[in-house]
Amino acid sequence: MSEQIAVAGAAGLPTARLAGFLGWVSKRSTLAAGLALTFIILFIGFIAPFLYPADPYAIHPAHALEAPSWAFPFGTDELGRDNLALVLSGGLATLIVALPAAVLAFFVGLAYGLLSGLAPAWADRLLMRLLDAILALPSLIILIFFASLVTLNNTSLILLLGFISWPGLARLVRNETLAQRGRDFVLAAEQLGGSRFYVARVHLLRAMAPVLVVNGTFMVGDSIFALSALSFLGLGVQPPQVSWGSLLESALDIIALDPWWLIVPPGLLVFGSLLAASLTGQGLLQRWGSGR
Amino acid sequence: MNPVLNIDGLSVSLPRGGRGNTAVLDALSLTINAGEMLGLVGESGSGKTIAALSVMRLLPKNAKITGDIWLGEDNLARLDEPAMRRVRGSKVGMVFQNPLAALNPSRTVASQIGEAWRVHQGGSARAARARALELLGEVGIPEPAKRLDDYPHQFSGGMRQRVMIAMALACSPKLLIADEPTTGLDPLIARQIMALIARLRRELDMAVLFVTHDLSVIEEHADSVHVLYAGRSVEWGGSAAFFAHPKHPYSEALLGAVPRIGQARLQNIPGNLPEPESRPPGCRFAPRCGYHQPNCDAAYPPAIASGGTAAACLYPLPASQRITYAEPLTKPARRNFAPQLEVRDLAVRYAGQGSWFGAAAKLPPSLAEASFALGRGECLGVVGESGSGKSTLGRAVLQMIPYEGSVMLDGEDFTGLKGAARREKRRRIQVVFQDPRESMNPRIKIGDIIAEPLRLAGAPRSAERETVTKLLDRVGLNPEMAARLPGGVSGGQAQRIAIARALAAEPELIVLDEPTSSLDVSTQAMLLNLLKDLASQAGLSYILISHDFAVVSYMADRIAVLNAGRIVEMNDTAKLIEAPQHKYTAALIGAAPQLHRISR
Repeated sequence: MSEQIAVAGAAGLPTARLAGFLGWVSKRSTLAAGLALTFIILFIGFIAPFLYPADPYAIHPAHALEAPSWAFPFGTDELGRDNLALVLSGGLATLIVALPAAVLAFFVGLAYGLLSGLAPAWADRLLMRLLDAILALPSLIILIFFASLVTLNNTSLILLLGFISWPGLARLVRNETLAQRGRDFVLAAEQLGGSRFYVARVHLLRAMAPVLVVNGTFMVGDSIFALSALSFLGLGVQPPQVSWGSLLESALDIIALDPWWLIVPPGLLVFGSLLAASLTGQGLLQRWGSGR
Repeated sequence: MNPVLNIDGLSVSLPRGGRGNTAVLDALSLTINAGEMLGLVGESGSGKTIAALSVMRLLPKNAKITGDIWLGEDNLARLDEPAMRRVRGSKVGMVFQNPLAALNPSRTVASQIGEAWRVHQGGSARAARARALELLGEVGIPEPAKRLDDYPHQFSGGMRQRVMIAMALACSPKLLIADEPTTGLDPLIARQIMALIARLRRELDMAVLFVTHDLSVIEEHADSVHVLYAGRSVEWGGSAAFFAHPKHPYSEALLGAVPRIGQARLQNIPGNLPEPESRPPGCRFAPRCGYHQPNCDAAYPPAIASGGTAAACLYPLPASQRITYAEPLTKPARRNFAPQLEVRDLAVRYAGQGSWFGAAAKLPPSLAEASFALGRGECLGVVGESGSGKSTLGRAVLQMIPYEGSVMLDGEDFTGLKGAARREKRRRIQVVFQDPRESMNPRIKIGDIIAEPLRLAGAPRSAERETVTKLLDRVGLNPEMAARLPGGVSGGQAQRIAIARALAAEPELIVLDEPTSSLDVSTQAMLLNLLKDLASQAGLSYILISHDFAVVSYMADRIAVLNAGRIVEMNDTAKLIEAPQHKYTAALIGAAPQLHRISR
């Protein structure tokens, strides 16, 4: 891996770098597919809403529940709203909550795991049993419980989702910390006068970078899924703002009318986001799996 | 003469780095007779293991083999796979280096030993068990009947290797291939295994192909020797003639690189082994050879035979040129070291597995009552077998583990120190580990690895590059290496980087924990000489921990012998060798290669 990067880097020119990068990616088709899909999802979520200027909340009663046409490419819902505009707006609403939530969960999990792994044995045990207790409760149930207690807006949703999905990573990081901290290069760094914080920052983080990146990617997928599930239950992004999950939920209300154009796009996008995260993670795992 | 194995013109090429096949072994020819042991000797990259695996046809699928491998009437290079399966384990037995990896941890030894026998000879489970019992007795496992149903982890390292040998012998093979079977074992155990293989070969009239990187291992037992360098034979012939008078400069250099008790200077082999893609067209050793002449580079030299051995060299060393490094056994003891490190009543106990609330059970101490002093510039050798507590001693001195007793550096005890003051003092003792790859973070560039101590000490960044360059130069590495990741470097180079990093902290004392035991002999010689030179330049002290008595005696001013967690004997190196007081010390000295054995 480093060989090819080094070759591209040595050439120095942007095109050479790009060519090197593309060559490097294409050899790993899982990673390539994952990254391509990620770009598509990000494009749909963050750029497409501004390219398709139709107002998602404008009601066209004359066109209620119409199948896709030139005027409404994704059809309309039962109120006559432009479904494409709704899907795009719902994508932005979904990602704007799910991504920061994943980042939050990532850093909480990382900090907790490092702390537990570096703490004295008794503190480590305490922190891990606490984690067991949290993991023992189904996260969706806790999520629903808290979601019913607080006012739901973007900030509270980010905090809720973020604080609910970190324990898995925390455990991984803690185990990785224990595995790495006894390695010779960590002992050597301590012998050189490196403090615990220094060793964690410089050596442990780098040594566990593959684990972090791969699982961080998975967490993004999980976060999108969790938010969609919450929204589907009516506890996520609040009306009038729509999200992929809430679009699915409202389509379900009128499923007897077979509005396939209302179900397929948000469903595919949730699925596509999960696939993008999973393929990217798998691809990185293949590339780093043996990179110890 | 009754040849069992006859290899004729064997060449092997393997795919390397996606650029088609590269020759890794060329034109190997050798013969082993029944009841004889041939030592196939070479360093890493010589092709010796490839040769052994070719006989078993255990090479990767895309390997290309040419030439013939005659085992009796069968040409193993041509046999189809089903026929080959009947050969493996039945006509040819194989013993690997790491018995723990080669044995199945979830099956009893009786079932594993009996397996080969049942596969090839059929027969009942009861008969296989009887055969296993017989074999365990034959390889010298005490009370074999009681051990039949034990699992591999219940055996010690040496006993596991005996179990491996029993497995290989299950079908009374005509040929036994042993690939570094004693590497990694304690020297006393290694000698026993060596003696066992030598005895079995005579008793069972079996041919043995013994693959090793260490000439001293086979000196006593091999009937013939075959030395490989960079994929080609350089010298071969009768063992006695070879050791009395090695003719190829590489053989001589290799012999000179093996540390022996009483040796004044190890012989370096300058330069590096050429990569398989860039092997020179002529003699492959020529670029590193001290006797190099222009016509050595023209073509691979023809073999010249005389006096029982043959060497592929245009200028074989004359018989008069005996091993020149033989010097008197005693070396003058260096004296009057200023006191530096003082260790008093050092004891280490590892805690057992504790329960949730109960206190952890105390195990017997790993180290007890260790007291010694070390002078500035002195090298203290610590020898002992695995589990003797020698690494524990090193780690306690390094303050890596909790201990009882006191460790004082320059008159100041570590015990009272906390935080930054403790870290500052700890820095003055540095460490070099056994596994050179493990001791470096694989994701950090070599230059940054060496600069780490400087940064931690708060040295100005501007001077960093220059210091790193200087250090790389001091340990004999190309300063351009600084920009690379440690992934691609050789073991010897990695160990030099580790030494450079230790030196960057400007330590007073370096604990060397088996620094060379994962290296080839010639690399080991270079590294030991480098360490010796560094100490004399910088007034550096060492604690050298090793299971290899010869290595320790080469380096150390004084030697401490550890057995079962206690220092059983400690004395000046020469005195210790001359008159060992403890029988364990005497046994260690007896097992180590000595100069008089080759200059007889």
